[in-house]
Amino acid sequence: MGRYVIRRLLQVIPVLLGATFLIFALQFALPGDPIRALGGDRGLSPTVYATLVERYNLSDPLHVQYGKYLLNLLRGDFGESFRGRDVSRIMADAFPVTLRLTAVAFTAEAVIGILAGVLAGLRRGSFLDNLVLVSTTAVIAIPVFVLGLVAQLVIGVELGWLPVAGIRDGWVSYLLPGIVLGALSLAYVARLTRTSLAENLRADYVRTATAKGLPRRRVVGRHALRNSLIPVVTFLGFDIGTLMAGAIITEGIFNIPGVGGQLFLAIRQQEGFVVVGIATALVLVYVLANLLVDLLYAVLDPRIRYD
Amino acid sequence: MARPHDLALGELTDPTADHLLEVVDLSVEFRVRHGAVHAVNGVSYTLERGETLAIVGESGSGKSVSVQALMGLIDSPPGFVTGGRALYRGTDLLSLSDRELQHVRGPGIAMVFQDALSALNPVFSVGWQIAEMFRVHEGLTRSDARRRVIELMDRVGIPSARERVDDYPHQFSGGMRQRVMIAMALALDPEVLIADEPTTALDVTVQAQIMDLLDELQRETGMGLILITHDLGVVADVADRVAVMYAGRIVESGAVVDVYAAPAHPYTLGLMRSLPRLRHKGGRLEAISGAPPSLLRIPPGCPFHPRCGYVRARCRDDDPPLYEVAGGRGSACHYHDEVLGDQ
Amino acid sequence: MTEDFTAQTTGPPEQAAGAAEGESASLWADAWRELRRSPFFVVPALLILVLTVMAIWPQLFTNADPRDCDLARSVLRPSREHWFGFDLQGCDYYARVIYGARTSITVGLLVTTGTVIIAVTFGSIAGYYGGVIDTILARITDIVFGIPLILGAIVMLTVLPRRGVGELALVLMVFSWPPMLRIMRSQVLSVRSADYVQAARALGAGDLRILRRHILPNAIAPVITYATVFFGVIIVTEAALSFLGVGLQLPAISWGLMISVAQVRILRVPHLLAFPGLFLSVTVFAFMMLGDALRDALDPRLR
Repeated sequence: MGRYVIRRLLQVIPVLLGATFLIFALQFALPGDPIRALGGDRGLSPTVYATLVERYNLSDPLHVQYGKYLLNLLRGDFGESFRGRDVSRIMADAFPVTLRLTAVAFTAEAVIGILAGVLAGLRRGSFLDNLVLVSTTAVIAIPVFVLGLVAQLVIGVELGWLPVAGIRDGWVSYLLPGIVLGALSLAYVARLTRTSLAENLRADYVRTATAKGLPRRRVVGRHALRNSLIPVVTFLGFDIGTLMAGAIITEGIFNIPGVGGQLFLAIRQQEGFVVVGIATALVLVYVLANLLVDLLYAVLDPRIRYD
Repeated sequence: MARPHDLALGELTDPTADHLLEVVDLSVEFRVRHGAVHAVNGVSYTLERGETLAIVGESGSGKSVSVQALMGLIDSPPGFVTGGRALYRGTDLLSLSDRELQHVRGPGIAMVFQDALSALNPVFSVGWQIAEMFRVHEGLTRSDARRRVIELMDRVGIPSARERVDDYPHQFSGGMRQRVMIAMALALDPEVLIADEPTTALDVTVQAQIMDLLDELQRETGMGLILITHDLGVVADVADRVAVMYAGRIVESGAVVDVYAAPAHPYTLGLMRSLPRLRHKGGRLEAISGAPPSLLRIPPGCPFHPRCGYVRARCRDDDPPLYEVAGGRGSACHYHDEVLGDQ
Repeated sequence: MTEDFTAQTTGPPEQAAGAAEGESASLWADAWRELRRSPFFVVPALLILVLTVMAIWPQLFTNADPRDCDLARSVLRPSREHWFGFDLQGCDYYARVIYGARTSITVGLLVTTGTVIIAVTFGSIAGYYGGVIDTILARITDIVFGIPLILGAIVMLTVLPRRGVGELALVLMVFSWPPMLRIMRSQVLSVRSADYVQAARALGAGDLRILRRHILPNAIAPVITYATVFFGVIIVTEAALSFLGVGLQLPAISWGLMISVAQVRILRVPHLLAFPGLFLSVTVFAFMMLGDALRDALDPRLR
């Protein structure tokens, strides 16, 4: 197991380096003037322009630039807005908010998704099964931002059940955006659980477990479920990427001042450096989260540990 | 000392019944889009204590399905038991509820399957899976169960049992995995052990070891053993009696010695003749021409008649029952006397 | 389960079930035969066909000009003459939604085609030749795979001065090829060791010929299935990016952009959301169903 962990850690390093290099290259190595581009429609006075060149080391040769860029990342410097606010400060303030939102989304997606999937998988072809199938298909087909706006409209405004903007109402304000955020993933989790369980119920080892005289509840709940949940847990882990992208949209629509919301705002305000800074941070989080999931996977499925 | 499952079994079954296991006229069909696949058609056989019955046949002959039906392992739908009884100590297993069957499976009748790698749960250690038998059926504590598991693993010939108890199935070789399955099946001293092609997925040398193990265990415990296989050589070594299946029915049965020396059914005759023997060096291998019928559309009359060398008009219309032949044998051929006489 | 209950053949090998005398029984021919008869394929396929026609000849669906806007008609409700009403600028919404199909289909087509070409080419090379080439490609794939599509697109689009359909398509292609390439590669890997490939090589066939005639047709099925769903995903991604404000810009006509522009008033004027939203959802739904139907038809295990 230890060897597996080390191997995975070593594999992550080139990915981190490569990803940061790619992002760096996309910003500063493309033809054209990165500062003007990242400034959007803003008029930049020569003094401001010069300061920016200095700040981001743009007069250095490319490889030196990248080196300093990397060093900055390691020190937690993700750039700053045109008004001088550190991107890392912006993110630090916004992070707890996003964390709460993601927690709501994740809980909804895991609990409701797995439950729905198990019920559907146990009773293939039943009304419940078809209901789950149809509703998940609908949710997957509808884009997140459409779903979010519709939810805001119907549940928030028309029915008035839940708050639709900001976080003034405490935990309740996270509910609707959280569910919207988790909806797409919930649909995938439900379908995956359903298929996985149905497949495993037909597996040879389930037949053996039944032949051992074990009660049905144990055969399904212990033997089949354990194996069925492996791909689901893997998916949940790798889903962090979807949640992050969705958070940008969801926090934007529901006016939640989380990391995604800040990114949404930065795009609207044409704060190019902030946009890129937050996006970079999110990519790093994504890579590390995937690493954690890989390691978790090894705990769940003993066959992987000895690869 | 009576164990909890002994009491449950005792309530369900009758120790003074005639046979340990008696299957009467069992039929199983699978309903698929194109119609019904008649996997098992009116199969009957018996098993006594201490006896080894081999059920032999090609793939698709219905041998596995018949024992799975008896254990209640057929997925329904699409499989349905359409007739017959499976009497274990006098009680019809087919009439028991799943709850009641749970008391029979394990302590009464146990099964060993073909491919141990897929038949064992990959995410639990072998020790955990064997221990389950003790913990669920006998309510043993974890440490007691562990002790019994190590003893069992020793008994079936797994070296370094104590160290390997927490290993996972994929860490064992094919032969060792099969021993694990046998250990798991034997945990509660069942009266009947059904081994469904236990050696098919193994190397030849390992096959012999596993068969020896089964043989030895059977003699130690006096349990009845049903051996399902398509390997005629294995049958000759280990079995007392044999039932040959074709297209879902038994076409010949009897003591192995008798059947092998002089088959009473053309199919069995063809099987015996097709076995390569040393003295045939240089000659052609005899095969049975044609192929088994589709179980969706079994031809009328005797199912073997399209391929039979003894075929007459009667065979095309009249489905032969299992005729009684001298010496406790049976043959589902109208002209079995002729077949016997020709040898 | 160990027993096999499918119908067994008697005598000489029969044609695949359902094939008439002399008809080809290849995987593709079988799949087409099955698909033709399945409503789960025909309905979405027709939908997509309609959308494509809408994209090429929007005039067939509306004679209004989507750019003919009059502020006096701002946010008028749907009526019998103007089915979808008007938007904030006073443009005919129905016309705009119809013309929006062109953007979506174009972006989808460009990105999907480009990505498929990249994935098939490099996936085949990686899978077939293995060795150093494979390792390098695998590392590059890992790196690009580590950047989620939307995030990578946001970064790249923020820097680009001009964001037309072409630029957008390119950006999406840059970040979306890794999963498809991996699928192709793993397929090629499993097909490469097949007996018929060894046989071809023994008969003296060159690499290119083997790749083209033996490996490609057999390996490409899952890629096709994935590409179908991918098409729908790309359409949504473009819409999402345009919604965020980093995708297409006015005066381009995109469903996502329409929703974004109208977001301010959407809560009070729902028809601004409803129609483009509906078209987006139905489009994605059609591609998903198509992908499902293709997968079921092409899966050899389900025969």
